[in-house]
Amino acid sequence: MNINKCGVLLIVFVSYLFSVPNTSTLVAQSVTPGYGHERSSALPPAETPESEGGRIVSRLEFEPLDFVPPKVERVVLENGMIVYILEDHSLPLFDLVARIRTGAVYEPPEKEGLANLAGHVMRSGGTVSMSADTINEELEFIAASVETSIDRESGTAALSVLKKDIDKGLNIFADILMNPAFPEDKIRMRKDEVIEAIRRENDHPSQIARREFRRIIYDASHPYGRKVEGTLETIERITRDDMVAFHKKYFYPNNIILGISGDFDKEEIIKKLTKVFAGWERKEIQFPEVSKIVRQYERSVYYVHRDINQSNIMMGHLGIHRRNPDYFPVMMMNFILGGGSFKSRILSRIRSDEGLAYSASSVFQTAQDIGIFFVSCQTKLESTNRAISIALEELDKMRRMPVDAEELSQAKETFMNQFIFRFITSASIVRQKVDIEYEGLPLNYLETYLDSVKAITREDIQRVAREYLQPDGIKILVVGNKEKFDKPLDNFGKVTLIELK
Amino acid sequence: MRKKVWTLAFSIIMVVAPFAIYETHADSLRLDVKEHVFENGLKLLMLEKHDVPIACLRINYKAGSVDERPGITGVSHLFEHMMFKGTKIFGTRDYHAEKPLLDKEDELVALIAKERNKDVPDNERLESLRKELEEVREKLRELVVKDEIFALYLRHGGAGLNAATGIDGTYYFCDLPANKLELWAFIESDRMKNLVLREFYSERDVVLEERRLRTENSPFGLLMKHLRAVAFIAHPYRWPTIGWRSDIENITKEETDEYFRKYYAPNNTVIVMVGSFNPDDAIQLVERYFGDIPAQSSPPKVKTVEPEQRGERRVAIEFDSNPYLAISYHVPAIGHPDIYALHVLGSLLSDGRTSRLYRSLIEDRRIAVMAHAFCRISKYPDSFVFVATPRAPHTAEEVELAFYEEIEKLKVNPPSDWELQKIKNQLEAEFIRGLNSASGLANEIGHFEVLSDWRYINTFMDKLARVTAEDIVRVTEKYLTKRNRTVATIVKKEEKKTGEIP
Repeated sequence: MNINKCGVLLIVFVSYLFSVPNTSTLVAQSVTPGYGHERSSALPPAETPESEGGRIVSRLEFEPLDFVPPKVERVVLENGMIVYILEDHSLPLFDLVARIRTGAVYEPPEKEGLANLAGHVMRSGGTVSMSADTINEELEFIAASVETSIDRESGTAALSVLKKDIDKGLNIFADILMNPAFPEDKIRMRKDEVIEAIRRENDHPSQIARREFRRIIYDASHPYGRKVEGTLETIERITRDDMVAFHKKYFYPNNIILGISGDFDKEEIIKKLTKVFAGWERKEIQFPEVSKIVRQYERSVYYVHRDINQSNIMMGHLGIHRRNPDYFPVMMMNFILGGGSFKSRILSRIRSDEGLAYSASSVFQTAQDIGIFFVSCQTKLESTNRAISIALEELDKMRRMPVDAEELSQAKETFMNQFIFRFITSASIVRQKVDIEYEGLPLNYLETYLDSVKAITREDIQRVAREYLQPDGIKILVVGNKEKFDKPLDNFGKVTLIELK
Repeated sequence: MRKKVWTLAFSIIMVVAPFAIYETHADSLRLDVKEHVFENGLKLLMLEKHDVPIACLRINYKAGSVDERPGITGVSHLFEHMMFKGTKIFGTRDYHAEKPLLDKEDELVALIAKERNKDVPDNERLESLRKELEEVREKLRELVVKDEIFALYLRHGGAGLNAATGIDGTYYFCDLPANKLELWAFIESDRMKNLVLREFYSERDVVLEERRLRTENSPFGLLMKHLRAVAFIAHPYRWPTIGWRSDIENITKEETDEYFRKYYAPNNTVIVMVGSFNPDDAIQLVERYFGDIPAQSSPPKVKTVEPEQRGERRVAIEFDSNPYLAISYHVPAIGHPDIYALHVLGSLLSDGRTSRLYRSLIEDRRIAVMAHAFCRISKYPDSFVFVATPRAPHTAEEVELAFYEEIEKLKVNPPSDWELQKIKNQLEAEFIRGLNSASGLANEIGHFEVLSDWRYINTFMDKLARVTAEDIVRVTEKYLTKRNRTVATIVKKEEKKTGEIP
């Protein structure tokens, strides 16, 4: 049923912004802290609260939370497949998620869109022995789902089924992974859908901004600068043979990490997995080389004309690696700067102080190589310059001055106290384990999370701000109508006009 | 389109384990919600779920845009924002110092508006008033503790912090570690008792930005707003929840405050708790913090009844984008027996790859890339809606005709047993999946209580299970008629051809 919810107040999820798959977007809501969840782990507030209410709250006492997250088992099957397992008998459900090491970064530039297309048609096209119609009917009648996709740096497959239908679900799931048919008519259908989506990108100012910004940040020829969906030219060049070959190159059991959770018996499920994937041999995969991103900062300004009454602003530069040892301080710094929604400096000034925008935030998006740092906001044309200036001032201030002890304490407590929300369903716990291994993080990442958060100091924050925030080397993109801007954009540097096709 | 926010199931066959959070009655699944009504009329709905020590807390007010009137449309939503601005003890260093300045700010804003609206405004006077206002605001800024309520929740582990406004209600969301219930009770009861409309004028500007974002520059937002404005000619469902631009620009603090007093009283409020807590303790806690808030007289019900539609209505909205299409048919309110069949009809048409619209419009004819149908169940009679994104070179008109063909097809080719059973299996599975999410359960219980009664969830299941193919054909014939429909399209602004009637 659709609730006509119009005015959702906050923008908390910014992760849809770019289609980098194995990224974690550094926003407060999605990041929460380690094991053991006592209040004693929180730091005492550095200052007396400023309001009467705050002072009353600081005197409230809370019982410690008693919670030990369930233990997830890691098993490696004979065929090389890594499996994370968590039994949970509270509901008659079964969930499986898989990550396959592949991605659009490995497709040739002239076939931009190939990986994404293959990832879609694997499921929509059915298998060698089962037509798409048969699969759809079987799955939907038992209220199950199997979905596959390939994004920039990862392939994903998922199965959700009721306990009583585990066998049926697993058979279809395995068949789709191993034997997709890639029929011509379903390829044509998907191509048509992608083409329509590309045609419609310019209907939405935010989509224009995202697309162009990525091209500005990365070299257009680098796989990170390209479009995962492809372009009108490249889509038509992709053939069925390309897709079959792409699938054949990457889909092997030793290239897959599975996470399973739900109502089953561990030994039994391993037997079932062994059975459905029987005959699927491991293979050494030669991954094409992806050229390294070279870190560089250069100030530039870009403008896209649209006759609308609100500017869409994106500004930023290259960010960090997911495995960067500074990841935690950077995450914390960004929370204070623009990731912590109402508690962040950018939203506080742009929205609360001046009413210039509904949303304004900053994000460090990570990838296998260097990701993107960006600030985004939408504001009426007449305050475009003002909003950009405020964001630049805040970047600069973060570099120049150490954060307040109170700000850091607030940020740390947020991460630590929100930690429990990482464990609210078995499926979400298993999913995190799979992601952690896929991204090459230490396997005890969750177990050491709280300590990593606790260790951060004000000096760390300032050090990473100086290293990873470069306001003088920032790239600024505005989609809007410059006729009504408060000041000309060349205030910030030489403006390059981007013509929309 | 948005995924279904809630789902329900029917009789349950294969569930073996006894679950703490619902009871099984004979052959059906039921949520085991405990209810407590306090003396001041405040209702507390509780559902225990002890797997993880969290509590999903909702405060829902039975006040939505349907309760507004022209001139103050959007006030419920504006109010949703204002609830985060603090109270006499939150968000301020010193309310007693702040109060006279807030009054002065209002006075200056009113004087400026009056002067500006004169035939010949005195610019010098305007300038000096504006200067004075800026000085007052400077002093106010020094007293404000920025976004304190939000910050307090965050540092105590609050997640999913948000609020939403709909046509029938306003919803405040907060998920907390289970040991923080008292923090929530203290803050929320204070918001009900001692709210202060501070930073009112800048927040009004924020809402205007939200409006630009969601409707003015979004083709789909624009489409849905116009669809309702044309489909309803008398009932307040016709205005957008965010409000008309001119109303938001001019709404006063006084009007907002008056609206608050009328609709945001304990007797118009429902609190929902789902998670790990003891119900008896929860009742005591809520009594301690909310018990002293006085009840108000019951807010008025909406009296206006949408007159029967007497012919098709159409609107073509010019906008610089590709075409989009939406069609709306009037249907009854929650509680009407036809709602169940209409709900199943929506699923039959567009849930999944085996649904009729997907198979026909997307897969076989390939004239659209998105085509959905759904029944909007609301407090007052609402609508059954079709939406679509045509695939070029196919037009909105082609897709519109294809929708009508599907409707006609239903009458000669009623839903098969397979189709009906599939939908019922899905509803059942979704019910079970829904039990995994404390947050989702809290939303669902609260939403239905706002519309009518949370018990609707439990009866809905059984009623859906009884929907037959004949029921579906009957409601299709009854509601999906030409006379009862409104069609809205987004069309590209075209240059006028010579000889065309302007």
